[in-house]
Amino acid sequence: MEILQAENISKSFGEVHAVKNVDFTISKGKIYGLLGPNGAGKTTTIRMIMNIIVPDSGKITLFGQTMNDRLKARIGYLPEERGIYPKMKLHDFLRFIGELHDMPSAHIDSKISYWLKRFELADAASFKVQELSKGNQQKVQLIGSFLHDPELVILDEPFSGLDPVNVNLVKEIILEFKKQDKAIILSTHMMDAAEKICDHVYMIDKGVKVLDGELNEIQQRYGHNAVQLEYKGNGDVIKDLPFVETINDFGNYIEVQLKDGHSVNELLKAIVDRVEIFRVESRKSTLNEIFINLVTGGSNDA
Amino acid sequence: MRKIWSIIKREYKEAVFKKSFIIITLLMPVLMIALSVLPTLLMMIETKKQTTIHVMDQTDWLFENFSQSLKDTLKNGIPKFVVSKVSFSENDFESVLAEEKLLIEQEKLAVLLVVPKDIDSVGVVQFYARNVGDFSLTSRIKDTFSKLVSNHRLRESGIQPELINKLIKPVKLKTIKVIKGRKEKEGGFLQEYFSTFIFIFIIYLTIILYATAIMRSIIQEKTSRIVETILSGANSFQFMAGKILGQGAVGFTQYIIWVVFGLTLLFFSGNFLPVSSQYFSFSPIIFFYFVVFFILGYFLFSTIYAAIGAITNSEQEAQSLVTPVVLLLVIPLMLIGFIVKNPDSTVTTVFSLIPFFSPIVMFARINLANPPILEILLSIVLLIITIIGLIWLVAKIFRVGILMYGKRPTLPELVKWIKYH
Repeated sequence: MEILQAENISKSFGEVHAVKNVDFTISKGKIYGLLGPNGAGKTTTIRMIMNIIVPDSGKITLFGQTMNDRLKARIGYLPEERGIYPKMKLHDFLRFIGELHDMPSAHIDSKISYWLKRFELADAASFKVQELSKGNQQKVQLIGSFLHDPELVILDEPFSGLDPVNVNLVKEIILEFKKQDKAIILSTHMMDAAEKICDHVYMIDKGVKVLDGELNEIQQRYGHNAVQLEYKGNGDVIKDLPFVETINDFGNYIEVQLKDGHSVNELLKAIVDRVEIFRVESRKSTLNEIFINLVTGGSNDA
Repeated sequence: MRKIWSIIKREYKEAVFKKSFIIITLLMPVLMIALSVLPTLLMMIETKKQTTIHVMDQTDWLFENFSQSLKDTLKNGIPKFVVSKVSFSENDFESVLAEEKLLIEQEKLAVLLVVPKDIDSVGVVQFYARNVGDFSLTSRIKDTFSKLVSNHRLRESGIQPELINKLIKPVKLKTIKVIKGRKEKEGGFLQEYFSTFIFIFIIYLTIILYATAIMRSIIQEKTSRIVETILSGANSFQFMAGKILGQGAVGFTQYIIWVVFGLTLLFFSGNFLPVSSQYFSFSPIIFFYFVVFFILGYFLFSTIYAAIGAITNSEQEAQSLVTPVVLLLVIPLMLIGFIVKNPDSTVTTVFSLIPFFSPIVMFARINLANPPILEILLSIVLLIITIIGLIWLVAKIFRVGILMYGKRPTLPELVKWIKYH
């Protein structure tokens, strides 16, 4: 079920068009990747969803209503700019955040202790925020955006600054949210992380949406079959094959990009008698490669 | 409303438990005590000492009268001056003088007075002492000599000094302030000036103090990047309102502590205070208006300061924007002399209606004269309208500004921000 709809939203700051005619929809129970390099307009887009800045044109509908400040309590937002009151006690800070999200007073404390326990911060509840490590402060911020059990969770670079154990924990929580039928938006420039977890991808560059679709679909449509081959013999035979797009030959190791509609099997059939094969690895293009191809206007006609 | 309340609570708690708040709150009363009790205390310590005075009298009539005139006593009843005559002959005058001077050097003698034989015509008495800066002592002695010598001159001319004194007795002016609806009270320019100035200065100082605190905390929250976390729950208007009200509540707490303390001090210390109640005779009406104009002035200026905090990135950067705002508060302070003299002139009236000056000028007028209630109301209404308009304007600037880092916006840019919807 759709819960968020952005129609044709634009925002410019002076001469800079931060976001241009972007639209997207977000549905329950799915994880969305809002991807793009630094300065692509991800944060501006999110701020417009949060009603922190108002679009110059276009319309944002959330939970069936035009976006307004009362809906903020139903969103859990982790801003990219991390900031917490350094002198406040952990528990007080989270209580304050809970109050700002319209949580009923009686409810807040139990939620706080649940999440502190989950992030292994239970012993630190009465510490001042500034006494925590950077990573732990990041966890406190994450708790701040989960605390009020939001229906829509927007996380701007949620993994930055976390150690692998906590990256896993956060991933686990995000998947849990998905099971609870929440909608999740992950904004990140780290595509490989998004690739592993997202169902749907919106990719923007220079304020314009360049890609929109289910992850598998995108990889099929834009991705190319790449094959890595360790071999012995004359590599020129590979280069001359009609279904090979490009190669990158390192002597006894070669990366091959196959043309659309051709499989690894075909390649192997063609070369199996001519060179000695030690190892074959077939993989789809990463989001990163797709992205770079798209924005550099790569040679792909897809 | 609940969100604003949460922000107010947070601001309040953080500010009130800050060390600097506690220190200033406690230090101020200490300063108050010091300022009011110290002079009395110093006077008491000082007056415990007797002053020894030696007189080398070359006339044959002056010393008796002089020592008769200096009959002042100290607080504990003993004579303040111990006057004795130094005897000498014409031959050893110089050596006696030298001996006496030596006594002064050795701190055995406080004052040596040398009176010439023809004092009537010369009119100069030499005053030897280590400390010649004690104004009350020198003037006391000078006045005594003047009176004695002029009386002597009159008598020598065959005139009765008593008669002359009676004939030239000066006329004094007793000023009494009459204002409709208030008790008549004695007072003069100095007193009016003083009491008005103190009130106004308190308004000026605290407005700047608390408005700066708001600006500073907004800048701080910008640098610590906390703003967006708050905006994830509240909107920028709630954020701004919460900060202004929260900081205002902090200021009010401090005020109440000080006022209660001050009143207690006034109540218990009675005659301890040398600057006694004649300067601080405030009526409840005056106090009411003081609170009203302080609150309005606070809101007006803290809104402006909040805007400055929102568009700058550091306190140094803010400083250049603050200066013209402070000027708005300083202008009425500089005009205070004029206002005290002409509380009902056209210029003063106009100033007392202009919102940025009215908190100070209108209050000064109320304290000095009785401006028509309509003018007071008009000035309050104008202030409120300005504050509302300003909050509306600043909220827009604030909304854009708090998320902007880097370059400070120019005026045309600010105008553009205001036009954003």
